Amino acid sequence: MIFAEWKPLDELIDKLKIHKKVLLVGCATCVAECAAGGEKEVETLAPLLRMALKKQGHCVEIITATLEKQCEWEFVEQLAQQATEVDAIMSIACGIGVQALAERFDPITVYPGVNTSALTIREEAGLWAARCAACGDCILGETFGYCPVARCAKSLLNGPCGGTRKDGKCEVNEEVDCIWNLIVERADERGRLESLSKIKKAKDWSNSGHGGPKRVIREDLRQ
Amino acid sequence: MKMFVGSNLERRLAAGDFAVTAEVGPPRGPDPADVKKKAGILRGVADAYNVTDNQTAVVRMSSIAASKILLQEGLEPIMQIVCRDRNRIAIQSDLLGAWALGMRNVLCLSGDHQSAGAGGKLKGHPGAKNVYDIDSIQLISVVKGLRDRAIQEGGDSISPAAPFFIGAAWTPLGPPEKFRTIRLAKKINAGANFIQTQAVYDMKRFAEAVRRAQDMGLTDRAAILPGIIVPRSAGMLKYMNSNVPGIDVPEELIQRMKDAADPRIEGIEITLELIDAVKNLSGIKGVHLQAIEAEELLPDIIRSAGLLPRPRIY
Amino acid sequence: MFAFGKADMSDKSQWPSQNPEVVVLYCQHGLCDEAKGSAWYQESKGVFVRAVMMPCSSKIEVSYILNILESGADAVEVVACPEKSCKYLVGSLRAEKRIEYIRGLLEKIGYAPERVGINRKLSQSPEQLINLARARADAVRPFGVNPMKKGE
Repeated sequence: MIFAEWKPLDELIDKLKIHKKVLLVGCATCVAECAAGGEKEVETLAPLLRMALKKQGHCVEIITATLEKQCEWEFVEQLAQQATEVDAIMSIACGIGVQALAERFDPITVYPGVNTSALTIREEAGLWAARCAACGDCILGETFGYCPVARCAKSLLNGPCGGTRKDGKCEVNEEVDCIWNLIVERADERGRLESLSKIKKAKDWSNSGHGGPKRVIREDLRQ
Repeated sequence: MKMFVGSNLERRLAAGDFAVTAEVGPPRGPDPADVKKKAGILRGVADAYNVTDNQTAVVRMSSIAASKILLQEGLEPIMQIVCRDRNRIAIQSDLLGAWALGMRNVLCLSGDHQSAGAGGKLKGHPGAKNVYDIDSIQLISVVKGLRDRAIQEGGDSISPAAPFFIGAAWTPLGPPEKFRTIRLAKKINAGANFIQTQAVYDMKRFAEAVRRAQDMGLTDRAAILPGIIVPRSAGMLKYMNSNVPGIDVPEELIQRMKDAADPRIEGIEITLELIDAVKNLSGIKGVHLQAIEAEELLPDIIRSAGLLPRPRIY
Repeated sequence: MFAFGKADMSDKSQWPSQNPEVVVLYCQHGLCDEAKGSAWYQESKGVFVRAVMMPCSSKIEVSYILNILESGADAVEVVACPEKSCKYLVGSLRAEKRIEYIRGLLEKIGYAPERVGINRKLSQSPEQLINLARARADAVRPFGVNPMKKGE
């Protein structure tokens, strides 16, 4: 899922303190799955913000809502009534949701309540780890199901570098496996080590964000 | 053997002499005098001198500039390039500039991640944007393209060609060990002419790795120079053993340093033993010496190893 | 002895007390029968207790406790079953982790983390629950009244 985490509470309070009435909006999809912006988190953040603002002497009313998705206009529209009642909105959805609200409810200020930072899987309860870098040129078929673009700190395509620790972890972060160590081991298990001796050429990054802000049209779906 | 570029290092290796390279770390400041000082200490003790490229992601004088200063001081540089900070456009541009300024040896590395910051001792720039547009093996191919086909990575030509003697790094003892020789082969296939290894202390395991490389025919195609870092204390060896991936220090060496009356002298003893061991290792063509922040030790060490004076190259 | 009256958290007229108001959330399985009752309040020496019985301490959501503090309670004491005794195996462990999390959040907004606590106990009588609440009241007394009580 798209992964996000709460911004520091000081930052949020700093933004909200100048307002009278704020709508705090969550999203029931990605950010709910990473326990940052779902209904539960809205119901946690709202009292927390109210208490923090009151303590600092600010009088800010906070109302709440949670949309199924903040990246679909049909759901965003559901906020239309509440949006007229407030002088600011704080969204704890990913950056896509924040911008959807900002676009639809202009000129109301929309603040992000979270930092969106990765594409992850929930490996186990309470543990999320990056899996995809949205590089636009997927090589998972050649790396035995492990993505070195997202999971190697140096995005090596001909790894591993000399930084694999003795225990197979990465020198950059001792809690992270050297993904190339895993790729090599899996290749070996499948008798395909030879496939990794071919030199992988320099990547074409142009289909990712590196090629410029993406704008994709599907003629078959246009109206 | 065909000469690519005729640098000191290349000719030394072509002549079959045991080569010596040493490292010069650029200063964390703009003063060329700092580079000249190190050049003065190390003049004449090695065939070529590695100039590091923002090593451990710490901003230092650029390797291209420091290399030029070395050249002006009469020393031959091996310009190190890392993939961490520059994309393929900047790297190729720097290579053309480096050649114009007289550099002929390059060492192609991935480079420490920007979170390194000198192992936590300095602030560094952990918030910098990661580049890693290409990796070290792709970089070797890029340099080979500029040299052999006068062609840029994207396909445009350059005129004339920019010939370099191409180096790469090898970490023979890191996991997955079985793959390390295959990866060495990849680097040599990509175009590497000489190889400098991560510091070796475990001679037995290193010898096995070199034998595997020899079996694959790699030691004939590229000159392998094992890296040796002069130990200064038991603590330093222990630290490297635990914290520097690819460095394995046998317990006996750590114990020797602990028991030594003067660890600094013992460290030099150990260095000389290691140099002697690699000199006698089949397939090894030289040695790459490093004395971290203690370059002044190297001239005596190299002399005591019987490697001075460096033979004239004709 | 005490009125098993309905405790209405939002009813501000129920704040007669000079003492810290502690809401006790207790697991039904951690009680002796005498204490079972869905919700009750009791003014006692040094503390005003509001008690609410939970089917399991793991039913206590982070937002639930924050709402209680937001509504003006000076502290919340969770009484959960000891680790090996939880009828739902990991319920009380989850409750403990949530309490830790809430304490961290309170600290970040300048509230004393002592305003929330957890005790792992079995077979509590009402008096014992009140004692736990009193201990919590003593812990938060130095920090004064919950700022949410002041003014509108």
